[in-house]
Amino acid sequence: MKSEIKTENLDLEVPIANVDEINELLRRYGVKFGIYKNGVFKEQLFPFDPIPRIITAQEFAAIEKGLIQRVDALNMFIYDIYHDKKIIADNVVPEDFVYISSGYLPQCEGVTPPKNIYSHISGIDLVLGKDGEWYILEDNLRIPSGASYPLIARELTRVASPKAFTDNPIVDNRNYAQLLRDTMDNVNCGGINAILTPGRYNAAYFEHSYLAELSGAALVSNDELFVENNVLYHKTYSGGRTKIGALYRRISDEYLDPLTFEAKSLIGIPNLMEAYRAGNVAIINAPGNGVADDKGIYYFVPKMIKYYLGEEPILKNAPTYLPFYEEDRKYVLENIGKLVIKDVAEAGGYGVVFGSDLSAEKLEEFRQTIIREPRRFIAQEVIDFCDLPIFEGNEKVMRKADLRAFVLSGEKTRVWASGLTRFSRNPDSFVVNSSQGGGFKDTWVLSR
Amino acid sequence: MGTISVEHGDRLFWLGRYTERAYTTIKSLEKLYDRTIDSGHEEYRDYLAAFGLNDTYGGREDFFRSFIFDGENPSSVAASLVKAYDNGIVLREEISTEALSFLQMAMDRLEHISHSSKALCLSLLSLVDIIFGFWGCLGENVYDEEIKTIIECGKYVERLDLDLRLKCPFSMVEKEFGRLCTNLRKVPKNTPYRYNTNQLCTLVELMGMGENYTESKEEAISALGRLFEPVKRTVLAG
Repeated sequence: MKSEIKTENLDLEVPIANVDEINELLRRYGVKFGIYKNGVFKEQLFPFDPIPRIITAQEFAAIEKGLIQRVDALNMFIYDIYHDKKIIADNVVPEDFVYISSGYLPQCEGVTPPKNIYSHISGIDLVLGKDGEWYILEDNLRIPSGASYPLIARELTRVASPKAFTDNPIVDNRNYAQLLRDTMDNVNCGGINAILTPGRYNAAYFEHSYLAELSGAALVSNDELFVENNVLYHKTYSGGRTKIGALYRRISDEYLDPLTFEAKSLIGIPNLMEAYRAGNVAIINAPGNGVADDKGIYYFVPKMIKYYLGEEPILKNAPTYLPFYEEDRKYVLENIGKLVIKDVAEAGGYGVVFGSDLSAEKLEEFRQTIIREPRRFIAQEVIDFCDLPIFEGNEKVMRKADLRAFVLSGEKTRVWASGLTRFSRNPDSFVVNSSQGGGFKDTWVLSR
Repeated sequence: MGTISVEHGDRLFWLGRYTERAYTTIKSLEKLYDRTIDSGHEEYRDYLAAFGLNDTYGGREDFFRSFIFDGENPSSVAASLVKAYDNGIVLREEISTEALSFLQMAMDRLEHISHSSKALCLSLLSLVDIIFGFWGCLGENVYDEEIKTIIECGKYVERLDLDLRLKCPFSMVEKEFGRLCTNLRKVPKNTPYRYNTNQLCTLVELMGMGENYTESKEEAISALGRLFEPVKRTVLAG
């Protein structure tokens, strides 16, 4: 069965293969993500919807410019924080805001990564408001995941529905692995490129293995790696060793090196930070980036753009308040019922509370928590963002969706002409995360 | 890719073994099924005896269903495919997404066949096709000879092991031994899949017995199981 879909706002006829056909292909190729429920690991399909999000060439050009500007400024910010701290000295970002961030790592003070690049792969979450404006919701600068899903979905959709691609001017997004490889090669300190995975039972294991396959990097786990004389090596089965020059790690900072960070980490590599400090291996993304994608620091990104680049921000933040500041706190406490409150320590859609969902009693409890721990939360106006059509059975329904754009910082900063569009399957929910039952779509960027 | 870890070496070997175990189990059960059509329904007990297993099955049909579809039975086709997939899933960058997809398809096909009303051996044909597809795809997508050799070593160790246990005709056993040796010759020195010379010599001697090899079947199976044990070096006192 094929469905002719007239896309919203665009005069394109997009023949799309049956959702079951595509999901069958995704299953065949092992496009799954792992999830723990009640302590039991289960692999499940990431539900795919075949109606793409479509972004025109003109619209993409503006987003691209804005994202490059933002990521360049964020990279400059991280360098500054771990070196000169001029932005603090100039009172643009308050000092205590930086140092109480859980993402700030004193162990990274004075350490300069190869070519000064901290965030090599940035996942920037955006939504399209009903006012036609794109808003940034979050910057993910640590280990943003998700690029592999639209990548393989495109490959399979082209098989199942070639007409959609012959009839429409869609930019081919299958260059992501090459972009990734270029990004790793750019900072490689001599040796092979490797992707470090926590293992098969990690939620994003499919992505780790698929990107390793496509980029030609070795997929490695910590027990195969060791550091000797400040050089990182991969142990080979013949008793030999292979030097690693760039390590795209898919584990969090705190678990990276038990001798520098969390001593109880069983998935880290002892002395990795020494090899990194000595300039013998590039760690992608660099440790310490969490200081810049803290939900509290988000508030300051437009100021960073002005400060470092002397430019007006091209992309807007969602209107955000920091209860840390008295004036903002007053506003938040008075308007909590219409705001969305985010716990800065949480991720993956957790710790997000819509004031409108809370009873009067719960709202009061929340007010008291904010008064007690103002640094723990940010509050945002609820953006009325555009719904996208998805299939529910054979019926087309509208659901909330965001876009994770991937920005790769190599020799130049480049935006992948695609992205992961995630949608909520629950009609009443704004939460699109896969861990909370959300699905995904391909993102088509048109070439004209 | 150019760098194989100890764990991946092990996984490659067992990927070869389990995929082959699924295939050889299907083929031997097909032959057995055919024989039991004429010769009575109890012959499946000989198959169980070859593996030192007792008959806890409620008859011929129950036996065949268990050895093909029951994932809880460690000797079943279903269990072998799951183990092959478990090894394959961590080898995506070595064997390719395309080859891995055949293992997923094989598991899906087996599940589908388990609900089919078609004759058992007829249904299994399509599963065998998928396993052949897996081997073809592997040959097509894997360029690294070392990776291929490790998988093939696993494959032919498994096949020879089953042939020995089922006391297959010597002409068949000899051919499979020859294929294993062809792969062993390609294994680089100082790697875990470099053969243990002592065990290989034992196997060669036993193959020299021709049809009488079955008299020393257990010894042959043991030597095969220890084929990749590190050689113990004796230091002579001067």
